[in-house]
Amino acid sequence: MNEEIKKGSQHPLSILANQAYQVFSDLNFEVIFGPELETEWYNFDALNMSKYHPARDMQDTFWIKDKPGNVLRTHTTNVTARAVEEAHKQGHMPYACISVGKVFRNEATDATHEMQFFQIDGAMVGEDISIADLKGVLTYFYKKVLGDDVDIEFRPSFFPFTEPSIEVHAKFKGKWLEMMGAGMLHPNVLRNLGLDPKKYQGFAFGGGLDRIAMIKWNIPEVRLFYQGDLRLNQF
Amino acid sequence: MKISYNWLKWYIPEIPDRDMIWDIFTYHLCEVEGIEKIGEGVTSDTIFDINILPNRAHDLLSHQGIARELASFLDIPYVDPTPKYKIPESKPTNLQIKVESDKCRRYTARIVRDVKVGSSPEWVVNHLTSIGERSINNMVDLANIVMYDCGQPIHVFDLDKVKGILIIREAKEGEEITTLDNKKVKLKTSDLVIADEDNVLAIAGVKGGKIAEVDENTKNIIIEVANFDPVSVRKTGRGAGIFTDALKRFENDLSPELCDFAMLEMSALLVEYGCIDFENIIDVYPEKQKERKLSFSINKMSKMLGIEIKDEQVVDILKRYNFKYEKTLSADGHYPLVGGEQYEIIIPPLRLDLQIEEDIAEEIGRIVGYDKVISKIPKIDFQPKINETYKKILWARNKLLSDGYSEVMTYTFCDKGEVQVLESAFDKKFLRTNLKDGLKESIKLNQVNLPLLDTKEIKIFEIGTVFKKDKEEIYVAYGNKKEIKEISLEKFCEYNSSQLSLVKRGENAGNLIPLDKGDKGGLFNMWSLYPFIVRDIAVWVPESEGKENLEKLLKENITELCIKGPELFDSFTKKGKTSYGFRLIFQSYDRTLTDIEINEIITKITNKIKENSNWQVR
Repeated sequence: MNEEIKKGSQHPLSILANQAYQVFSDLNFEVIFGPELETEWYNFDALNMSKYHPARDMQDTFWIKDKPGNVLRTHTTNVTARAVEEAHKQGHMPYACISVGKVFRNEATDATHEMQFFQIDGAMVGEDISIADLKGVLTYFYKKVLGDDVDIEFRPSFFPFTEPSIEVHAKFKGKWLEMMGAGMLHPNVLRNLGLDPKKYQGFAFGGGLDRIAMIKWNIPEVRLFYQGDLRLNQF
Repeated sequence: MKISYNWLKWYIPEIPDRDMIWDIFTYHLCEVEGIEKIGEGVTSDTIFDINILPNRAHDLLSHQGIARELASFLDIPYVDPTPKYKIPESKPTNLQIKVESDKCRRYTARIVRDVKVGSSPEWVVNHLTSIGERSINNMVDLANIVMYDCGQPIHVFDLDKVKGILIIREAKEGEEITTLDNKKVKLKTSDLVIADEDNVLAIAGVKGGKIAEVDENTKNIIIEVANFDPVSVRKTGRGAGIFTDALKRFENDLSPELCDFAMLEMSALLVEYGCIDFENIIDVYPEKQKERKLSFSINKMSKMLGIEIKDEQVVDILKRYNFKYEKTLSADGHYPLVGGEQYEIIIPPLRLDLQIEEDIAEEIGRIVGYDKVISKIPKIDFQPKINETYKKILWARNKLLSDGYSEVMTYTFCDKGEVQVLESAFDKKFLRTNLKDGLKESIKLNQVNLPLLDTKEIKIFEIGTVFKKDKEEIYVAYGNKKEIKEISLEKFCEYNSSQLSLVKRGENAGNLIPLDKGDKGGLFNMWSLYPFIVRDIAVWVPESEGKENLEKLLKENITELCIKGPELFDSFTKKGKTSYGFRLIFQSYDRTLTDIEINEIITKITNKIKENSNWQVR
């Protein structure tokens, strides 16, 4: 056959993940990967979510049978935690990392909720990293991914792993939309990862990649991403 | 939590308009989930549904809490009701309380005699209904009003149904209680209960019981204002499958110091009802909440927030929020220089969220407003390493895309496997051991839609994690309807390692540029969920004429129901005539098309074709 092979089409979430990696790499973030089946330690405890903390209510978790203390990760912050810990051990401070990965929530599905979805998660740790840096990095990211006319704003929030905690909203096509959670890494988290909070501070952020994709391309249902339907690959 | 604007106004008469309250909530305190106007005229009200997160659930799950916060934020007067709450001199009491578990951190109780149970006055009913609560009777309603007002749950027992003393203890093996809503609950020995000498009367902090219920015949009551261990209340509630507003407050940890005010307010409201016969308060409070202090420096605040925080700003906030504070000296006995000022504050008892310096940074950050933070792009001295996994995924994906495979993502959960989850909201409880099964389903689905896709053959791939008994691994699967190959990402890249140079290598991972960056832009087009109908039309046309006229005619007559086509799928020439085969696909976004209506369209088209004597429909 002489006919040239027609190129296949890419899944939208891969396109977006690659864009995210690219944008953050431009800012010197290291691309990292980590396990989907995770210990309770890296998914919860290290992140300052004690066993009976009401915040665990916010996470509907899949626990693994016959493997006590193991879960399907509920966020990719576990990857960030592992990477920051390792970087510090290796003497790589300051440090910045970015990951995109699949996460799982044990909750009923609908047009905007899925039992599995992708999360983008990152952190930057050093001696004088602040919320101003966080705002700079996220503004850069959202402008690159959603367009130059995008604005972002921070609203107060609460997460066990950050203090102060904020919610990031982006103004896209005239509407403010909740995009991700963020804040300054809680000193307990830094301590749990072996860092001295008196010396180091840093920001962390995390949110759904599927949600960004839905907003960016106007995709109506999160469940469309996992049907295996090639009509999804329009970009 | 629902918050009534009118209720807030009691405490902050100078409250600004509703839009401004929305702004303050949103940008300085908490998310507003909803806002609703209710009632007409003088009774009209605005109800905010706000989402108080666990860190502020100690002090903000109440109207007074929110009112105090707004008053401090806006620096407007807060009307403290305490001075006007006057209780008649109370009498000696025989009430006996025995606390047998340290899960009860404080228990205050008092007997009030000669109460008249009946319906509530109008303001009570209005207040309760405005926030979506139901009026039950005047006693129960008052207890609820106090909880929504100051945040402290209160329980009321019928004194004459209680045998002997009140005991706060853990439940005994096999004990049961019938709750106020007539649910029978089997108690666990770790559950904290309120009991008399014979029976369990209430599940502590969770729900009251039927036995000592206040009803229309009740004459004398015991008011309980207590504080319970948050974890214990939470576990008990979960175990019993009960969730109440009282539980929500206890499980988030309340200050035992709140009991005094709640008892005062409950008593004062009973006075308004005409009650005069109050007995002394019994207060079992083994370990008083200690006064806590917290130090912070202005430097640290500025360094965390990335804004220059000024001394005056901080002093202003400390004053508005009624913190007792002291400017502290540095080790050499002097006040530190500008920017280095340090403060020590006494934490108000209800502010259990303030524990560390960073909590003060959040307090200052949210009050000042994060809009004051000016973005900056950090430059850090760090050289990222290239991530090997990412490099391989990128390479495998590019390779498969260039070989004509399209990418799908399927579900991790399946019917069988080696790793299982415990509880699941879904029927599938196993994690996939392969990608193949998902791809087979995907091929089946896409095969049906083949005419709609811009491809002759379905070729797909997935790169994803599979779960074996003791490890997870990233696999690559790719194939068509005849065959699917599956192999670990590691091996996939090894076999093709000579071609790894396909990925450009640069100094950092960012230079791992995907061959196909994708994203042609534009917006997503949702497909129709109704079945489609395919029709082919083949026509003989004089060789010299070409296909253009025929194509034009088709385009003019296919109607908007044709979502794809006319698409030339076949052509050949014989004896001076060329046969053109066009494919038309019909589909509607709002209904299932019938053969009959498509036949009509096709008939119309063929009739038009027949009008041209040089053309023949095959």
